[in-house]
Amino acid sequence: MGGLKRKSSSSAKTLAKSKKKKGPHLPNSILKVIANQKRPLNSDEEDDDVIGSDDEHGGDLYEYEEGVPEEESRKNNRYDRHDNYDYELPEDFEDENVESDDDGGNSDNDEAEGDDDDDDDRHTRMLQSLTGMPSAAFEGESKSKPVLFTEAYPEGEFNPTRDVLEGKNVLTEEDFLAPLEGTPGYQKTSKQIARMRKDTKHVVHAPLPKPQRERLERKAVIGLVDEEFSKWVHLVKKNREAPTVYFNQDVDLGYSTVGAIASEFQPRTEFEKKMASVLNDSEVSEAHRDDGARLLELNEVSMEDHIKDRNHIAKMRSLLFRHELKSKRIKKIKSKTYHRLKNKDLKNSSLGALMDPEMAKEEAMRQEAKRVEERMTLKHKNTGKWAKRMISRGLNVKYDGTKAAIAEQLQMNANLSRKMNSMRDGSSSDESDDEEEFNDGSDEDTPSRLIAKAKEKTLKALEDDEVPNAGLMSLPFMARAMKKKNEEANEEAKRALEEYEEWENSGGENSKKTVNVSGRRVFGATAKVETPKESRKDSDNFYDDSDSDNDMAGIEDNNIEPVRDNASPARNTITDTEKFDDDVAGNPASKTTFDVAMFASGSWKKMTGSKNTESKKASKKTPAPIPQAQDKKGSRDEESEDSESEAEEMVDGILTSASKETFEVPSQAELVNRAFAGDDVLDEFEKDKEEVLNQEVPKPEKPVLVPGWGNWTDIQRKRGISKQMVQKHEAEKKEWEQGLKTRKDARLKHVIISEKVDKKAEKLHTTTLPFPYTSKEVFEHSMRMPIGPEFNPSTIVGELNRPEVVKKTGVIIKPVKFEEVNPNDEVDDEHPRNHQKQKPKKKTSRRQGKVKSK
Amino acid sequence: MEVALEDNNLMEKVLPPDEQEIDVELEAKEKKYLRGEGANLESVKDKKLKTQLASREKLYGKSAKAAAKIEKWLLPASAGYLETDGLEKTWRIKQTDIAKEVDLLSSRNQYDIVLPDFGPYNLDFTASGRHMLAGGRKGHLALVDMMNMNLIKEIHVRETVRDVAFLHNDQFFAAAQKKYSYIYARDGTEIHCLKERGPVARLRFLKNHFLLASVNKIGQLHYQDVTYGDMVASIRTGKGRTDVMEVNPYNGVVALGHSGGTVTMWKPTSQAPLVQMQCHPGPVSAVAFHPNGHLMATSGKERKVKIWDLRKFEEVQTIHGFHAKTLSFSQKGLLAAGTGSFVQILGDSSGGGYSRYMSHPMVKGYQVEKVMFRPYEDVLGIGHSMGWSSVLIPGSGEPNFDSWVANPFETSKQRREKEVHLLLDKLPPETIMLDPSKIGAMRPSRRKEKPTRGEIEAEKEVAIEAAKSVEMKKKTKGRNKPSKRTKKKKELVENAKKTFPELEEKNIAGKKRRIGEDAAAELPTSLKRFARKN
Repeated sequence: MGGLKRKSSSSAKTLAKSKKKKGPHLPNSILKVIANQKRPLNSDEEDDDVIGSDDEHGGDLYEYEEGVPEEESRKNNRYDRHDNYDYELPEDFEDENVESDDDGGNSDNDEAEGDDDDDDDRHTRMLQSLTGMPSAAFEGESKSKPVLFTEAYPEGEFNPTRDVLEGKNVLTEEDFLAPLEGTPGYQKTSKQIARMRKDTKHVVHAPLPKPQRERLERKAVIGLVDEEFSKWVHLVKKNREAPTVYFNQDVDLGYSTVGAIASEFQPRTEFEKKMASVLNDSEVSEAHRDDGARLLELNEVSMEDHIKDRNHIAKMRSLLFRHELKSKRIKKIKSKTYHRLKNKDLKNSSLGALMDPEMAKEEAMRQEAKRVEERMTLKHKNTGKWAKRMISRGLNVKYDGTKAAIAEQLQMNANLSRKMNSMRDGSSSDESDDEEEFNDGSDEDTPSRLIAKAKEKTLKALEDDEVPNAGLMSLPFMARAMKKKNEEANEEAKRALEEYEEWENSGGENSKKTVNVSGRRVFGATAKVETPKESRKDSDNFYDDSDSDNDMAGIEDNNIEPVRDNASPARNTITDTEKFDDDVAGNPASKTTFDVAMFASGSWKKMTGSKNTESKKASKKTPAPIPQAQDKKGSRDEESEDSESEAEEMVDGILTSASKETFEVPSQAELVNRAFAGDDVLDEFEKDKEEVLNQEVPKPEKPVLVPGWGNWTDIQRKRGISKQMVQKHEAEKKEWEQGLKTRKDARLKHVIISEKVDKKAEKLHTTTLPFPYTSKEVFEHSMRMPIGPEFNPSTIVGELNRPEVVKKTGVIIKPVKFEEVNPNDEVDDEHPRNHQKQKPKKKTSRRQGKVKSK
Repeated sequence: MEVALEDNNLMEKVLPPDEQEIDVELEAKEKKYLRGEGANLESVKDKKLKTQLASREKLYGKSAKAAAKIEKWLLPASAGYLETDGLEKTWRIKQTDIAKEVDLLSSRNQYDIVLPDFGPYNLDFTASGRHMLAGGRKGHLALVDMMNMNLIKEIHVRETVRDVAFLHNDQFFAAAQKKYSYIYARDGTEIHCLKERGPVARLRFLKNHFLLASVNKIGQLHYQDVTYGDMVASIRTGKGRTDVMEVNPYNGVVALGHSGGTVTMWKPTSQAPLVQMQCHPGPVSAVAFHPNGHLMATSGKERKVKIWDLRKFEEVQTIHGFHAKTLSFSQKGLLAAGTGSFVQILGDSSGGGYSRYMSHPMVKGYQVEKVMFRPYEDVLGIGHSMGWSSVLIPGSGEPNFDSWVANPFETSKQRREKEVHLLLDKLPPETIMLDPSKIGAMRPSRRKEKPTRGEIEAEKEVAIEAAKSVEMKKKTKGRNKPSKRTKKKKELVENAKKTFPELEEKNIAGKKRRIGEDAAAELPTSLKRFARKN
């Protein structure tokens, strides 16, 4: 009651405050969060102090004070008047549950108020004296927040009381055990419980809340899935990066030779085994290897054997003879009925079917047809008129004869509709048989046997702690985790063994009773990870739950591991790319040499080069052999000098009249100029060029005044050509100039290169870049090498032109199988994975060693 | 003096197999076979493409390496050379001196065939160099097997023969005669008379395209496909009469030399010349192409020979002092020039430019008509006014022939096989372009050529005509009124007309926008914000 009052007054206070101060308005939820963050971090007392002080100051700058809602403020009568029921409980209101709910903790009581007050006073005084702080600081602790709890529902199994929820006054095992004291099983159970208490490992914790649990599960699952998938990354990457994927490595046509088949032979029957032992006898083989003498020795047959043999042969002979006689006699019988009956016999008997495959086939066919018919008509399945009638009238129960007839019919139906050859079913059910057998046996077995069996299994489990020495499990941390797990399992197994022994001693019967507790509640995820069989067999709650606990631990372990695993491929890829870059950079930056065939043979070049220098030297050293070579023109280089002398030489080879002219070079040039003075070739060419340029890059027309067009003529005359037109013309001119500049022959005065589009040749170019390329340059560089057999050595042609997927027709492409791939391995086209030998085509092989240069 | 011809390896120095040297040699060869550098992979952002390209490049490298090794070890014959010691000059060495040094088989290639009656001879060799065709001006045609000096067929056409050319092999040859040109079979039977071309001055055969190109007296250039006989192109050069014509073996472009000193280059799919070059102030007397297609030699009547780089269309070198009536590049890049009775061979031994390598003076009074190197041999054939002669030029021919390209020892069966392959590999005429390595590359982006007013008008006319000539459907009675029909027709024509002014307007609008943008772009950055946006 008092609490309520206080609350209302404080709210009134806050209202008053809100009118005074207005800080930044923070939503309530944020405020709450802030408060929560503050509170649990510090120790209780200080915390309370802080909060108290906060209250004192009446809210910080960042405290949000909710204003009065507009409806309530009644400012301008915008809203209908309504009553505010909050905090306006009548004065005489009494909460009935208040009394029943208090538990001496924090909550105050009306009746005990006085006492409490006294106590509080004393307490605060004591605190004051101890800490030297004003009493106001401690008042908040005791008085500010009395809690009032009301229970909405009556207490029950599903609605425990508050103190139970808070972990107080909980029933303990002792409470349950106390009344049992003195009963015969008491000693043991108490012992067990004591052990259980000691055993901290197997303490069953309360299951985590569902969302949390699921989160953990998801986390674990993601880890596992990641790990599983990251295994495949290398494989997928490798397949992606491979220039060619081969799908023909799995083509296995079986044995190719008789020898191969024979080598696979394994003796199965006794006779075969005997034969094998004899054939593979080292003595015999040795004898064969040495010489015939030993062989003869081995060949020796004892007298007894010989007699036995002989007798056997004699017996067989006599049998054969008798059989012959009999068949002869039968053959002689001429009676048709006899033969008919005999044949019928043969046919009906399964023996006949066995003897004659044809007959067997026929028989099978007939059987099948019958079966189909039966399945179609359901003739024998009580669907007949008679059967229905019998059943409907209950006659089949009444009369044994009818009953038998109906049963017979059903049997017939079952026989007919059963599939004939059920050979496969037997083999397939073999696996399941074992388990069933085990289960069945356990059901029927006496408890003692059961226990013995369990014990045996446990021992076995204890014995084989094999540590895998390869694969993921061999990694050190995995090994450690495994070891830990194993140890736990062993401990558990030992404990179980102890228990078994106990049970065996005590007779086992009552233990079984205690063990099978029915209707237990299952909390948390049921563990699906395999548990040791013995613990499941006679599982009690503890073990099962402990299993789940273990499971958790395992999951956590796993969580760590995939993270590491993820990191490693990343590193690998990095190294990969680095390597790749290195490769690219490592390629010798060869200079572009466009002329492939120009200087095909380097040797010749070299040789002549040396020779040339020599000759040049010689020419420099020795004074010019011809005096005329001393030129008037000093500026000419050596080459021209050469040519000069050559001209002279040529002259002295043939004509002498012309030679005189060549000496006077300037005069010659003059002469030439004079000779060609008439036709101004260069000018003409320039004109031509202009013409061509005009055609290809048309010159913009100059704007002309058209009288009366667009305006009156007098105005036109006044204004001249419009500004717009001039501007346009200028822009066009600029464009034209640009066009001229970008031409290939812009700087070559003596050349006109046509830039007309050849429409016919356009089909030889691509208009768009083919897909993966984004740059024209790269594309054109990649196109530079011809890949045909005419241009490449036959050893490379196959590789250059191999399709992306190599597959023989008819080969079934199976899904990718997991295989260990070294991520650092480079994808090498030279050695395809399947090591399949490339059969060179006939044509290319013919062109062995042929290279065509462009 | 040292002389070595490709076929005799007597003079060849046997070097100890030094690993390093071999490596260097191989590397150089590898570079050659790599055909330029790979793309810069750093710039490729797509990782997948990058890896793909890298693996591709690796394969290319491997291929080049293998090819280099094959060249090194399986093509053992080295090119011939001429080496002098001391003061000797290579161009002083006479054929008689060479004859003393070389083996008997090679010395057989030095001879003069004196045929004074049928006047200056034109020559042509087959691609393998096995057969030679000689065409005398006065009508003498002779097909000679050069291997055994066997005269296969000799005919006299009793007409002026201006030029001769082999077709794809020795089975057929063409001769440009007085009025028409003819195609003859190996045994001299006339197979075709090519009347369409008129009196042809020069004949050339484009091996990869199977085109017979010719230029006639009035300066018309014709391309005829010899596989199905169609005239692929006939182009009026508009530069007057010429008898200077050569084919660039690299790209199939035909070059014509004109009297104005220009050299024009043509392809069959364009009526306008690809390139016009003003090479000489005077008439061009001869043109020749280097086998790799990057060098062109021209000779002007003003006594200059110029070497041009066809990648840049720039002059590389000018050789003064003589003009050539005929020019020819050898497989190894030697340049032969013939003038009067004198033959000059220039070599680019040091890489610094062409200089004198050898010379061969003929008997005085002989007029050289044509010089041509025999493929795969160190032999130069000279056709002149008194027959033809053959001289040894060491280091001119490619020492290793490729039997899949040209086999001098071809059997008839191989020849037939080869013919089929050639036909299958025939290139269409549009593949003739200046840079054939651009085939398959991106189409060069270019400004769209604006149609001229006349063109637009013509187009409009055509559209209107088309609209007028549309056949009207005959509809059912009542709907087939003549008035309605005329109305409909008028509508059609109007519609056809409408499209054109609209287009023009659109163009103008586009231009306007562009102008605005330009103005904005030109302004300084501080003033850009004031630019009108429309």
